[in-house]
Amino acid sequence: MAGEFVPEAVWIERSERDTPVARAVRERFAGPVALFDGRAPVRPASVRDGKRVLVLQRHRGAFLRHCPAGTAGLVCCNYLVVNLASNCPMDCSYCFLQDYLADAPALTAYTNVADALAEVGAVLDAHPDRSFRIGTGELADSLALDPLTDLSRLLVPFFAARRNAVLELKTKSACVDGLLGLDPNGQVVVSWSVNAAAVVAGDEAGTATLAERLAAARRVRHAGYRVGFHFDPLVEFDGWEAGYAAAVEAVAETVDTAGIAWVSLGSLRLSPALAQAVRRREAAGHVLGAELVPSADGKARVWRGLRLQMYRFLVARLRAALGSEVPLYLCMEPPAVWQAVMGEVPADRALGLRLAAGAGW
Amino acid sequence: MSDSAVRAYAAEKRFGAATLERWLAQPAAARGALLELAVRLRLGENQFRDVLDDLLAIAARQGCVVESILSADHLRAVLARPLGRNEAVKALKHAMRRLRYPQLSAAEERLTALGKQLRLPGGVSLGLPEHLEGEHIALTLRARSATELRDQARAVAAALQEPAIDEMFALLEGDW
Repeated sequence: MAGEFVPEAVWIERSERDTPVARAVRERFAGPVALFDGRAPVRPASVRDGKRVLVLQRHRGAFLRHCPAGTAGLVCCNYLVVNLASNCPMDCSYCFLQDYLADAPALTAYTNVADALAEVGAVLDAHPDRSFRIGTGELADSLALDPLTDLSRLLVPFFAARRNAVLELKTKSACVDGLLGLDPNGQVVVSWSVNAAAVVAGDEAGTATLAERLAAARRVRHAGYRVGFHFDPLVEFDGWEAGYAAAVEAVAETVDTAGIAWVSLGSLRLSPALAQAVRRREAAGHVLGAELVPSADGKARVWRGLRLQMYRFLVARLRAALGSEVPLYLCMEPPAVWQAVMGEVPADRALGLRLAAGAGW
Repeated sequence: MSDSAVRAYAAEKRFGAATLERWLAQPAAARGALLELAVRLRLGENQFRDVLDDLLAIAARQGCVVESILSADHLRAVLARPLGRNEAVKALKHAMRRLRYPQLSAAEERLTALGKQLRLPGGVSLGLPEHLEGEHIALTLRARSATELRDQARAVAAALQEPAIDEMFALLEGDW
């Protein structure tokens, strides 16, 4: 198993050293800790290099934004992201951060969480009749740093007290200890990216195994959380049917279907720059071998017919294993693919509302 | 195979540093096999980069190494054909595409065969989405007169009664 992340060193912005996040890290991290003023004195050569040292600093700018998956021409689920960290200690072959964070690769946890929650709270208060789904897992794994930062102790109570927002903590780790003593009050979903075992082993370095992720899902479910699963990215490789069928079965055996808030499916997608980054890796796992072609948004995906076949296979298996009440949705696909796979094209707002309500279809 | 031979070839063809770096990053056997291929086909940088990308993708797909792909009977036979340099490069790319995209290639070949089964009249062409990344099939009618166009339209309408067109759309929809 990939154990809990232990950085080589921690750098803390001097003015932030007594914030809850910095205090937690100082108490829990036994290695070298240093303070800095101004810019962090960490200059990683690459996103991978940036994973060795943890920086704690204020975030200067807005925290909350619309999920960038909401690209024109693709069906969008109206998801919001709040970025409380940047970069990730794991090293997945297909990770978009390899390209996206190339100019700012330091692994960073932001310390002014109170500012972030105030920003989120203002939006929720301004729209009391809307239902929001907000995640922290866009630019970082939601839980991989939690054993150090104890961030969940700040986030869970905040969202538990809100009626019009669900927080999603998305992870490939098994770091759930910090969640177990907290009451999510139905407002927090802990979700796992899941994949065929061959992809986990070959393309998701530093992550928990599928069995470890599902064991963690079982623990948080017993602690009162709803859970989610993201079959994303679906990777086409020799044996994908058996690999994904086994993953679906494993998920179905993990938790009661009533406890599953949603399941998403998303095909592997590589921007041209990301594809270059993947080619530069010593070992690219299964990703480069997939039958990827350029699609309308400029990203490479498995060609449409094969992609539809993969989606239909997964949807049929998931429906058979979980029933029709668990909400399934596709990520970053155009209306025509939705129609071909799901038999409908929901409006963006309607899709977001359905997921927020936990409604199946 | 020494790095100096690789560097000499790259220098002669004015390869960029990034391409040379990728070449030198390959295991020794792959570096040598790539050099042999590059010399044989007098590959320029863009051609070399495309070939390398394809070979690495095939290696990832098949779980093998670059040199074993190049030494496989199929590719050796392609390279042994008495073709000019440009034709040989084209034949190699075609052969590698079948390895790189086995299911897509099979689907494209099946669609081509089904298209022929339609027996479309002269002046009518069939267009498929590039890389089959789309759901539309286009039929283009080019006529010099209204009569010719009407004749084509009637012939097309008859051709579309063939079940081949249903199978073509099914293929695009991943239903096979």
